[in-house]
Amino acid sequence: MKAIAFGQYYPTGSILHRLDPRAKIIIALLYVICSFICKNVLGFALLLISAIALILISRIPLGTVLRSIRPVLLIMLFTMIINIFLTRGDTVLVEWRFVHIYAEGIYNAVFMMIRIFVLIIGMSMLMTYTTTPIMLTDAIERLLAPLKVLHVPVHEFAMMMTIALRFIPTLVEETEKIMAAQKARGADFTSGSLISRAKALIPILVPLFASAFRRAEELATAMECRCYHGGEGRTRMTALRYRAGDFVWLLGALLFCAFAVGCNYFGIGYTL
Amino acid sequence: MAKIELQHVNYIYGEGTPFEVRALDDVSLCVREGTVTGIIGHTGSGKSTMVQLLNGLSRPSAGTVLLDGEDIWSRPKDMRSIRFRVGLVMQYPEYQLFEETVRADIAYGPKNMGLSAQEIEERVLEAAAFAGLDPALLDESPFDLSGGQKRRAAIAGIMAMRPEVLVLDEPAAGLDPRGRDAILRGMREYREKSGATVIIVSHSMEDMARFCDDIIVMAHSRVVMQGSCKEVFSRSDELAAVGLDIPEISSVCSRLRAQGIEVGEGIFTVEEAIRSLTDLFAEKEKSKG
Amino acid sequence: MAEPMIKTENLWYSYNDQEPGRGEMQPVLRGVDLTIERGEYVAILGHNGSGKSTFAKLLNLILEPTSGKIYIDGRDITAEAMTEQDVFDLRRKVGMVFQNPDNQLVATVVEEDVAFGPENLGIPAEEIRTRVDMALDMVGMREYARHEPHRLSGGQKQRVAIAGIIAMMPECMIFDESTAMLDPLGRREVVDTIEMLHREKGITVLTITHHMNEAARADRIVVIDDGRVLMDGTPEQVFSQPDVLLAAGLDVPQSAALVHGLRKQGIDLPGCVGSVEECIATIVRAYTSV
Repeated sequence: MKAIAFGQYYPTGSILHRLDPRAKIIIALLYVICSFICKNVLGFALLLISAIALILISRIPLGTVLRSIRPVLLIMLFTMIINIFLTRGDTVLVEWRFVHIYAEGIYNAVFMMIRIFVLIIGMSMLMTYTTTPIMLTDAIERLLAPLKVLHVPVHEFAMMMTIALRFIPTLVEETEKIMAAQKARGADFTSGSLISRAKALIPILVPLFASAFRRAEELATAMECRCYHGGEGRTRMTALRYRAGDFVWLLGALLFCAFAVGCNYFGIGYTL
Repeated sequence: MAKIELQHVNYIYGEGTPFEVRALDDVSLCVREGTVTGIIGHTGSGKSTMVQLLNGLSRPSAGTVLLDGEDIWSRPKDMRSIRFRVGLVMQYPEYQLFEETVRADIAYGPKNMGLSAQEIEERVLEAAAFAGLDPALLDESPFDLSGGQKRRAAIAGIMAMRPEVLVLDEPAAGLDPRGRDAILRGMREYREKSGATVIIVSHSMEDMARFCDDIIVMAHSRVVMQGSCKEVFSRSDELAAVGLDIPEISSVCSRLRAQGIEVGEGIFTVEEAIRSLTDLFAEKEKSKG
Repeated sequence: MAEPMIKTENLWYSYNDQEPGRGEMQPVLRGVDLTIERGEYVAILGHNGSGKSTFAKLLNLILEPTSGKIYIDGRDITAEAMTEQDVFDLRRKVGMVFQNPDNQLVATVVEEDVAFGPENLGIPAEEIRTRVDMALDMVGMREYARHEPHRLSGGQKQRVAIAGIIAMMPECMIFDESTAMLDPLGRREVVDTIEMLHREKGITVLTITHHMNEAARADRIVVIDDGRVLMDGTPEQVFSQPDVLLAAGLDVPQSAALVHGLRKQGIDLPGCVGSVEECIATIVRAYTSV
């Protein structure tokens, strides 16, 4: 029943969905880097075009994508306003009492908007929308695998992530049930001082923790019964294998990065 | 007289979102004062949703919920007083225990009612007795009790509010026969001593036949049958149509009738069946001898 | 002659002090001797606290017995010489499904969860794939392979949990009150699945329950009370002694209670009564012969 629209896996079977999750993580990282390297009109135009291209390729309905941006709309507006009013420059556009708006401010504001938009689209199109959480954790585990040499508990970390993902909906549901049960005994979570409100949370938190511990214990037993003994000697059903397509995408992302760096270095692209 | 009445109640989860689900569809029902009313239906038939409407935990999307003839949503600010009058024991209520002692946990409801310490203590003892909880357990931590004891402590927590209507959502789920009987006995005792109206949701037709005066059958978000135990269990075909059974003993009797043994109709407890069959055997013996 | 699947000898168990609320060192099991042959379908009945769940947990070493012997497939699993690998072998052979369907599913996708056991066993990827598909087919959950477990019904979750064990190719499966938290439909789904595993796959089944109607479907019922085996026999034999069952805090199926009640009234009803059909036949026979 819970509609957490932002970044939930949305299966469409597009090329993006079929990319290797490890490749997707690397591409997403490169994309984020690009969005910070780009400083001129050409760069931002390319970013914007590529973001739109990603949406089209993912075949996720535009409405769903735009809804996912809604929660950050406020942040975007805020950064825009701050940039418009606080950026100082040479070309004054509006001058009224203490308000000075410069062309540079507008320019910055638009670029910041594009940057945030591109960041969200890049992350959600490459990762959350097109990759199941389990694929993501799996990919992170494998990408970080070399760290095992340094005794970093990579597998354990990934296992914890998986279990957390599995149990978050269960615990959310449980919290609602406990709240309802305590309300039925006259609990009041909405009135009174801050302290009394904090106190009113105890009847929710104690049962919730008790239940989480009980679940953890039972799950641990069940896992042991299924012969779980850590990452050693463990195989995976879905072996990840890079394919030609993954390399093409990676190459594309690298070229984009190189291009952005080149633009900055040689001063190509229109700057104000 | 109707203690609780639902008039054309609709309930829709996530209205206006793509996840919209109609959980209750034009539900009208009536619970008579002082009776034990059973609600039966499969998971997803809407009965758990319905139960949460009775004490105002959720608000109907349309329609009214009447308690003693008065709309419980007429003064939403005063909803807490409705919850003290309609005590709801949710499914697996033991998961709501949180206090350091059983005593304090049972006292949570009465404390929220703003009662005096003496009154609270009195009610805690009374409720513990109704629920069949050994007074020696009152000073234990609720987390140290056995499963059945925890359940009884949680139910005592509701009984301590002395509700006029006691609603129990599958109070015996997961318990063994002893645990189940203890809880159902406690429910009956509470009703006898306090004159309260009891509403009980259960999957066990046998328990329903033993304890209920009236039965309400829910299926596909609607009320499909409502009437006395006898009326409802005699309509076994309709029950079967919504995937529900009649008590085993009732089906034994109807199959005996089909084989030419004229046991009385509308039997749904073992005792009645024994009585009826004993009479039949005696009659036949007599007519022969 | 083949070794029995499970054999226990004078099995005792007491919880130690660290387990609060269980009483001090009260033995939960007091000398259980039980032999379960390969391919049997056995229901273990008992009220809560009778020791039935403890017994199940000993069989794959979730708990270790205080004293006594347990032989699984002829091998003494209580021996000192048991290595970690031996324990894994045991748990693969004797799979266990628990009560709460939520607390035994690990992964966020059904098929990933079913793969969890075989993955732990280090089985090659292609074979895991085949086993997962086979196991999901068997419990009738193939179409849900890509679903998220928390959106399934209780009965479906429990079937996924069963598939997770099946994928490890067990020889024996223990169901530790696996239907206690389910509604009647879910219970039916699970019991049907259990019966199918026993009948079609020849898996030895041990189901722990306090639902009489479920126990009635087994070939053999063992009643445990106060840490000891109280009754051991076919459903017919067990249900024909309602007084003993009631004293052990258990129910009697209504049809058996009816026959018992009529006998008490002096009506002569010869024979065993294990099922509704037998009950009806017995009464009809007696009535016509009056």
